[in-house]
Amino acid sequence: MSSELVLRNVDKIYGAGAVHAVRDLSFTVKPGEITALLGSSGCGKTSTLRMIAGFETVTNGSIALDGKAIHALAPAQRGVAMAFETYSLYPPLTIAENISFALKAQRLGQADVNKRVRDMAEMLEISDVLNKYPSSVSGGQQQRASLGRALVRPAGLYLLDEPMGQLEPQLRAVLRGRIKHYLREHNCTTILVTHDQTEANALADRIAVMEGGVLQQYATPAELKARPANLFVGTFIGEPPMNVFPVEVKDDGQTISFAIAGSEGQSLTYAAGEFPQALRQRLKSETALMLGVRPHAVRIGKEGVKARVITCQWLGDQTHIAAEIAGRTVVSVSHEQIAAKPGESVALSIAGQDLHVFSSGNGAAIAHGAELV
Amino acid sequence: MPHHLELASVSKSFKSNKVLDDISLTADAGEIVVIFGPSGTGKTVLLRLIAGVEEPTTGKISIDGQDMVDVAPEHRDVGMAFQNFALFPHLNAFENIASPLRARSQGDAQVKEGVARVAKLLKIDHVLNHAPRQLSNGQKQRTALARALASSPKLLLLDDPLRNVDAKLRFEMRLELPRLLRQAKSTVLYVTQDYKEAMALADRIAVLNGGKFVQVASPEEIYRHPATVGVARLFGDPTINLAETTVSSDGAIDFAGQKVAIDRSYAMFKDRPVTFGVRPEAVDVKNGGGSGLAAKVMAVTPLNERTVLLLQTSSGAELLASLPSSSAHIPKSESSVSIAFNPNGTHLFDRETGAALRGGRA
Repeated sequence: MSSELVLRNVDKIYGAGAVHAVRDLSFTVKPGEITALLGSSGCGKTSTLRMIAGFETVTNGSIALDGKAIHALAPAQRGVAMAFETYSLYPPLTIAENISFALKAQRLGQADVNKRVRDMAEMLEISDVLNKYPSSVSGGQQQRASLGRALVRPAGLYLLDEPMGQLEPQLRAVLRGRIKHYLREHNCTTILVTHDQTEANALADRIAVMEGGVLQQYATPAELKARPANLFVGTFIGEPPMNVFPVEVKDDGQTISFAIAGSEGQSLTYAAGEFPQALRQRLKSETALMLGVRPHAVRIGKEGVKARVITCQWLGDQTHIAAEIAGRTVVSVSHEQIAAKPGESVALSIAGQDLHVFSSGNGAAIAHGAELV
Repeated sequence: MPHHLELASVSKSFKSNKVLDDISLTADAGEIVVIFGPSGTGKTVLLRLIAGVEEPTTGKISIDGQDMVDVAPEHRDVGMAFQNFALFPHLNAFENIASPLRARSQGDAQVKEGVARVAKLLKIDHVLNHAPRQLSNGQKQRTALARALASSPKLLLLDDPLRNVDAKLRFEMRLELPRLLRQAKSTVLYVTQDYKEAMALADRIAVLNGGKFVQVASPEEIYRHPATVGVARLFGDPTINLAETTVSSDGAIDFAGQKVAIDRSYAMFKDRPVTFGVRPEAVDVKNGGGSGLAAKVMAVTPLNERTVLLLQTSSGAELLASLPSSSAHIPKSESSVSIAFNPNGTHLFDRETGAALRGGRA
């Protein structure tokens, strides 16, 4: 039942060329795969979803489900199940009736329908409101009911638009887990659209990061963290965000050092042997670079770059320490509870393998650790 | 020396609706006290009482030992900033920030200097001649904060100032705010619904629920020793795992049909209906079989620097575990694991009242 979705060179232009919302977008969602379209508002993710659903026409390019072009079909003929924020519940039907309505076409026995609705409601924690009408339940419950209506029926493709935006924080983690398990168990090919990188990371097998209508990178959450294609992706994914500072690189044959701009001579220094020749050659051709480091890779100890602690915040399961170097804030995350006093001087070190080097011109990644891009 | 701010048995009712019920709280000079709670619990009303825009139905509010009952809002030396920014639309950012200084009839040079100082601190010095509508949400929020800080009030009331800014800026401001507030030297009452913000900023957190303070304590005390099951549920992401259970005579608890030994002193609660709680980061997970509780990994959901596992025991009980993402042995989805509980993250609550039950452990 689960289908493969292929977008090829898709453009979306609104008006007479006034707004180019999606540019030359190509990607594939494999059968049973969960893909997140991630980006801030105006990045083109929602236009993309609406073209796949059939609510928007495709200006150029093609969209195919299992090899069959669907972009000219009416929404109802595409075999797609949807939970959209704007695609609301039917007000005169109870929550249970809303969910079972999606099963009408299946011609199932009443007992079977009831069981499926009950199971879905239990998974989404809405069992206690099944007999209520949409107007008398909370926004979060409506959203879960709408999700239930989409997931309860078999479909080649599931489209979920900000499916958990209104979820109560106490339910978020467990529902993310249950929904991910459900989608996998039923081998559902799924596209979810979100602006929330934590949601995308939690649920998706692969994330398509979009900005300005252009696909920036399409990769697994782990890959996006370890090998971001550019500075935009590097800083968009992760909280606390990746630390970024401008550096000048020097290679004297023995050591490679990254001098931190404006820091009065402070630099991160590594044995030249840590980096392969090809990478060293590439770095020689650039003088000014941007260095990116994930917060968990910033170690606080006795040796390293001197920084002044701005704040130390323990959040229960992790400590965030912010320190200042040359007027820039560097954040370090530790899973322990550690104490550091504001104003205190500390030494920060970063392993060579944890460095991300970007071009300071176009922001493209040059190297991740010892690996030349 | 009296407390800088003191609320003594303050209640506030709107007609028959009692919003605040016999609230007492003190704050020392320079202290940051966070008022934390879900929406609709009376947090904003509390700030309005202190500012003097509303009057308490009963009870007393004192600042520096002086009863505020007859003191008009403008004479209380209180600065305020709100979540909806509330900037004057016809004034540019400079004049918005300057307004409390002008109200004190300071000279032009003094006003200029005062505005420049806070604007630099808040990194909005380059947009001072912009009208509010030309500012981004982040800049509006900083402008509102600058206005509250400009007159260096002794008491600063901040009503969820980061609520309407995006996640990135909220994170940045969470790091910057403690330094700003320290430099302002004000006593701060800070309202938020975000537990991370509360823990990050507060010297003490006052947890407000149902019009009453459920617990007033340091962030560490609240996280490690929540007074009630409700407080435990409000702090932590993912939320604490809870299970209704019973304690056997040897102090072990029944968890998902298996006996789990945690703390011998729990034996004193035997025969009492209890709720057992374990923080997700205190659930130790080992790949494969082991001496612990057998479970299956239902889903692996990364959460920033950590990875959250949804686990299911053989009896069907669900449980969340949270591991550092950098940990070398994160189990795969559908794999079998063995789990144990780290006693430092476990709690016992009375099932009826929700109150924490403390064992013999320090």
